[in-house]
Amino acid sequence: MSTVIEAINVCKTFGEQRVSKNISLAVREGSIYGLLGPNGAGKTTLIRMLSTITQPDSGEIRFRGDALKDAHAHQMGYMPEERGLYKKMTVAEQLLFFAELRGLSNRDAKAAVKHWLQRLDMMDWARKKVEEISKGMAQKVQFVSCVLHNPKLLILDEPFSGFDPVNADLIKDLILELKRGGTSVIFSTHRMDNVESLCDHLAIIHKGEKVLDGSVSEIRRNHFTGMYDVGYHEEVVWDLGEAAPLSMEKNSDGKVVYRFQTSEVFTPEHLLSAAMLKGKLVHYTEHIPSIHEIFVDTVSKGGAPIAL
Amino acid sequence: MKNIFVIFKREYLTRVKNKTFILMTFLAPLLMVGFYAATIYIATETGDDNRSKTVYLTDYNPTLMLSNNPPANYVFLPAPSNEDSAIADVKSGVVFGWLKVEDRDVRVIDSATYYTAETPSLVEMEGLKSWIEGKANKHQFAKLGLRESQIDSAQSSCDIVTKEVSNSGDVQESSSALKSRIGFALAFMIYIFIFVYGSMVMRSAMEEKTNRIVEVIVSSVKPFDLMMGKILGVAAVGLTQFVAWIVLAVGLVFGISALFLNSGNGMSTQEAVQKGIEARTGMATVGVDGGAVAGESGSGVARDLAAEFTEPLSNLPYFEIIAVFLLFFVGGYLLYSSFFAAIGSAVNQESDVQQFMMPVTLPLVFGFVIAQTVALKAPHGAMAKLFSMIPLTSPIVMVVRAPFGVPFGELALSFGLLVLMFVLMVWLSSRIYRIGILSYGKKPTWKDLWKWLR
Repeated sequence: MSTVIEAINVCKTFGEQRVSKNISLAVREGSIYGLLGPNGAGKTTLIRMLSTITQPDSGEIRFRGDALKDAHAHQMGYMPEERGLYKKMTVAEQLLFFAELRGLSNRDAKAAVKHWLQRLDMMDWARKKVEEISKGMAQKVQFVSCVLHNPKLLILDEPFSGFDPVNADLIKDLILELKRGGTSVIFSTHRMDNVESLCDHLAIIHKGEKVLDGSVSEIRRNHFTGMYDVGYHEEVVWDLGEAAPLSMEKNSDGKVVYRFQTSEVFTPEHLLSAAMLKGKLVHYTEHIPSIHEIFVDTVSKGGAPIAL
Repeated sequence: MKNIFVIFKREYLTRVKNKTFILMTFLAPLLMVGFYAATIYIATETGDDNRSKTVYLTDYNPTLMLSNNPPANYVFLPAPSNEDSAIADVKSGVVFGWLKVEDRDVRVIDSATYYTAETPSLVEMEGLKSWIEGKANKHQFAKLGLRESQIDSAQSSCDIVTKEVSNSGDVQESSSALKSRIGFALAFMIYIFIFVYGSMVMRSAMEEKTNRIVEVIVSSVKPFDLMMGKILGVAAVGLTQFVAWIVLAVGLVFGISALFLNSGNGMSTQEAVQKGIEARTGMATVGVDGGAVAGESGSGVARDLAAEFTEPLSNLPYFEIIAVFLLFFVGGYLLYSSFFAAIGSAVNQESDVQQFMMPVTLPLVFGFVIAQTVALKAPHGAMAKLFSMIPLTSPIVMVVRAPFGVPFGELALSFGLLVLMFVLMVWLSSRIYRIGILSYGKKPTWKDLWKWLR
């Protein structure tokens, strides 16, 4: 499948600080790409380079096969983490301005503004000045302002920060809808809750380096370390010697779940046969780490690149 | 290019559609006329000390007969013989003052003393002085055997009319006073407008930065285009306002002059001029009698002004003046506003602006000082020429010189230098701008700006 944007060995330095170190990534056409990393990892710097705002010191960025140039900005939508609007302009004027900046003709821009205002049920607000509308409404306007021109690639920096839960869900739905319409999406976040449900592919950035990269299921598979969970309706007593449970957890539905580490000596089959003898077994599953666990694990190891 | 236009359009339309802008465009000329009228009114009317003053007069030189016809608003009483009681009366306010003219040669300047409780104004002292001198002169003339009527008829006055000879040999009446006033007014306008519209650009850049809109914008527009669109948009706002004002002013001037000239019993301009000259010569003779020249009728003064300025006004090189003004306004504005844009992009809040304003305000204020002094005194002098060439001061100094006629070569050179400097400045500013708009956090320093430049 072809890539919409591709970074090859991109480096960026501010003064003494190397903010991006040899980062390479490729976003496939029509996919959602999550960029994960703690605050200050260099996500925004990378995103600014991808969205033509700044240029890398070295390395190359390709947009649909061509070296990235300013003209490509018309095929991109970008919503920065820190976002704002002109307070004194009306919602419609503002959207029209952004649409024209992204290269739409005046007529197309007007049609696009109308379409999106209707789509989000905001026609009544079109003539209101931004300083007169609610914050939640302004957030919607911000999102609309970067998708008006039907971009090929939508770049969102921390799209869910600052949004109320209702709007965050709305944005999530819109992102999925745009994806179905063929738009590729890159978004950065330092929160994991949205990653698993949205992303097809993700990369973890830490201290300016890419430390992990792959499809979500692939990454989770690869981080499977042989842990299994077994569950009962009540507590049981274990006498397996070396192979004691790693943890015990009581779920809200009254289930008691024990986590075991299997190995070549103590195989999953050994665990299962032992578990069946302890009582009425209601739960047996391999424990695949969540993206959150992988993220915390990766970052706490100091960000040494992990080969897949 | 299209992006510059989109930015330009936004900057222009949001400002021009603003209610305050529309209101100011129509009100400002009225305000200015009102302000001017008020200044004239204050200067001519309330500025005078109209109190009636009772003053002791000690006159050791009775030949002057000072107690006869005291100056307007003065009542003279003979002073008590005891000097201490005279001073005591001045102190207690029984009388306003005590004028003591010594029994000496009255032609000596310091031979009179004026005792007062409050410090007399300069105008009052001048008035008394010339009144005494007038009396003394008359006395001296009388000693020479001249009668008063002879003295009056011996007074002469002279008006100098300037006639300029142009290259083509035409001779036209002109007025240095008029040209100075017009030149100065234009320089003042440029000075004010560079500040007003320059800081508009600065605030606009700052608004985008603090509102965090700028990052969205620069993802589709190059910072240079954003800056240029902004500067040009605000320039267009300024020009719109100018054009509106010129139209309004021309309308006002024609309206008022039509009204004014028709009120004089249908006098033609020529007649009005004639009358004005008569009125003035009349005034000159009246003026001989000391400092009491108040009470000329307002219309007489106005007609006098009209007489002095009507012909020179119609002979002014209007096209040149307006062309020079517009060119140098736009050039100067563009030069300075790129400075302002760079400052606006560098700072995070209004209070950080001050430290960067110095290099912008200094040359502007300096240019204005030069305009006020050198350029008005010697519009064709070496200093005036020098500062009308230096791009930072030329927008202000050149327009002062414009009404006096500046050779085309000088205009072209000066404007060329201005454009060159503008291009350089825009280039430098855009380098600061492109980094400044995305730099948040600590207050920037000169060192930071220098780093961004490189």
